[in-house]
Amino acid sequence: MTTLRRVLWVCAALVVWECVLRMLPDSLLISRPLAIAGYVSNNAALLARATLETSVNAAWGFVWGNLAAVVLGTIMTVFPSSERTLSALSLLVFCVPLIASGPILRVLFGPGVGPQITLAALAVYYTTLLALLVGLRAVSQSWTDLMRIYDRGPVSTLIRVRARASLPYLFVGLQISAPAAFLGAMIGEFTGAERGLGVLTLRAMRGLDSDATWALALLSALIAVTAYGLIDWLGQRMVGYRPVILLSAPAASTRRSTGMRLIEMGCTTALVLLLWQVSMDAFDLNRFFAKRPGDVWAFITDAENRNTLLSALAETLSFAAPGYLAGLALGAGLAALLVLSPALSRATMPVAVALRAVPIITTAPLLVLAFGRGLIGTTVVVAVMIFFPTFVACQQGLRQMPGQIVDLFRSYDAGRWHLLRAAQIPAMLPAFFASARMAVPAALLAVTTVEWLATGKGVGVLMAMTASTSNYNMLWSCVAILAAVAVAVYAAVAALERAVLRVYASEQLS
Amino acid sequence: MACVDIHCDSITKRFGVTEVVAPFSVTLAAGQTTALVGPSGCGKSTILRIIAGLDTPDSGTVTLGADPPKTVARRGALAMAFQDPSLLPWRSVRANIALGAELARKPTGDVDALIDLVGLNGFADHRPGELSGGMRQRAAIARSLISAPKVLLLDEPFGAVDAMTRRRLNEDLPPLWRSRGATVVLVTHSVQEAVLLSDRVLVLSPRPARLMADIPIELVGARNNSLVETAEFATLSRTVFAALEEGV
Repeated sequence: MTTLRRVLWVCAALVVWECVLRMLPDSLLISRPLAIAGYVSNNAALLARATLETSVNAAWGFVWGNLAAVVLGTIMTVFPSSERTLSALSLLVFCVPLIASGPILRVLFGPGVGPQITLAALAVYYTTLLALLVGLRAVSQSWTDLMRIYDRGPVSTLIRVRARASLPYLFVGLQISAPAAFLGAMIGEFTGAERGLGVLTLRAMRGLDSDATWALALLSALIAVTAYGLIDWLGQRMVGYRPVILLSAPAASTRRSTGMRLIEMGCTTALVLLLWQVSMDAFDLNRFFAKRPGDVWAFITDAENRNTLLSALAETLSFAAPGYLAGLALGAGLAALLVLSPALSRATMPVAVALRAVPIITTAPLLVLAFGRGLIGTTVVVAVMIFFPTFVACQQGLRQMPGQIVDLFRSYDAGRWHLLRAAQIPAMLPAFFASARMAVPAALLAVTTVEWLATGKGVGVLMAMTASTSNYNMLWSCVAILAAVAVAVYAAVAALERAVLRVYASEQLS
Repeated sequence: MACVDIHCDSITKRFGVTEVVAPFSVTLAAGQTTALVGPSGCGKSTILRIIAGLDTPDSGTVTLGADPPKTVARRGALAMAFQDPSLLPWRSVRANIALGAELARKPTGDVDALIDLVGLNGFADHRPGELSGGMRQRAAIARSLISAPKVLLLDEPFGAVDAMTRRRLNEDLPPLWRSRGATVVLVTHSVQEAVLLSDRVLVLSPRPARLMADIPIELVGARNNSLVETAEFATLSRTVFAALEEGV
């Protein structure tokens, strides 16, 4: 009955959508459902081939990315001393916007599916790694004590206790990474592939074909949400419950001096530069396109190059910041408001979780069509990209509030606003800040993708241009500076988060 | 506000197919302390939650004085200490205790005196995460007292408290709530505590909770730990135990 009712609601929405647009024949931005269906049926074979291509690439990326996450998570658990370095490196790679890595991978791999698969893998490994690490640590002290009593080492503890305990968390990671892999594969296609849904999206957007843009966005969303649902179903069958993972607290560094932190930061930077240089030399990559750290340094120390780069960066950041703040404010604000109406909150949660799974960036062309190529269009794309994860995380954060505290307020007949202000919003802050931190690379990805695809401004377009003019020094410099900015902003948000956690959830920092 | 009596009239409660409270009727006199004892899971806490207005009975009514629990809560005259301390982790001990007055819409009053009473001197500015389980529980008890409630509901409040502090609280707390004219309902597993602290012990049957025995506690002299040694106390304890065993 519920399924039937849902189907009826969807049908009714489609009929309303169709009727409204028939009454507004001048609407060029929003396509009618029948026009979208017409495009799909006329191009069924083409769409099927493109879907297969993108899905296969996304699936390979999913496998490699998650495998990398499992290997990294295992190493960090068995050799805890490696954790700080490996976390820093993983974070750095995660902070490089995919649209920036795309052109470089394209020149390194040449034509073919290499960049798409690599980008899909890069899009998934970090979220899975975080979820897995939470799971590997989610064992009670008494279990690890038991293993120690029998003088079992970390490997034995990993196999006998942690691996099984982490399974539910791994499934949550896999679930979130399925749409992310699809997103990565599509971004790989944006940066110069020959086939796939990304290529068709680019073509439809450049030809201002709104029917095709709508059809491709909906198709991508449908595939991503289906994959998300399938892994959820599989996880339920194999594990039986879903843990809530949202509080990936930043590494506690409260006991280290500033000097020590600077030394660590310097060592990590040196390690990154060394790895960059060594990997390029080891594979004997052509210096014409595979630039080394020294090449980038020489390039950006030139005043003219630096000015070009910095003015593009300023433009990008001025577009990213309003969207980032708007997305966070809307996500947290709506979650807080909905908690006042528990029934509405319960009803919207599954919708929000499903929409979080949509690779939002694939709908960027639609949003740009609707809101223009200027500040508003870009802000909307960035805000939408950040809104859903923030909203879901904050709603889950609000639900973490122990029932007894709600009872305490109820026992004094305190009002809902009072409960919200005095208990629920403070309890939501850790989830909000974890979300704000993870949203930094997402905001940079969204803004650079929109710049690359549509607006013709900022670092995104600089990369698109230099990729086609073979100015690889500029391309590598763009990637380096974007990564540096992402890491710096991420670190700043993490520092703010630590300050908030010290007050509101000090147990997470221990 | 004057002292209020608590009147439960044929209340019942069911969770799904499980009947938790069978028709339960009792009147608890204003200013008295009543202990509810019974086997684990028998429905004691559910009755307490219904009296607090946190759960609604499936049938029957609860009135505190002449009003339903919500009205009394709105006046700031009701407070409850839960099994779990339920402290806000971001507030200090002092701020958590003050929360009780804040929620009851009353002036904060002398928080330090209560901190002293529950033996948390030196920890007023600590956060709950820095306290032991027993210390958190004592802060929660202080929070329930700060608003000087007329109806005080205590759900196994001393469960996590160490034996020495428990002995001290058993002596120090009752005079405080008695002097304020509070009507107190205490859920406890300890027969000794029930007899020592209360004016009346209600023995409940295994689930669904029914009233098995209503035992008045008339002890001569001040209620302090030395009473436990007396023959009178032992007799009353045996009576409560006998009623409990009869139910099982």
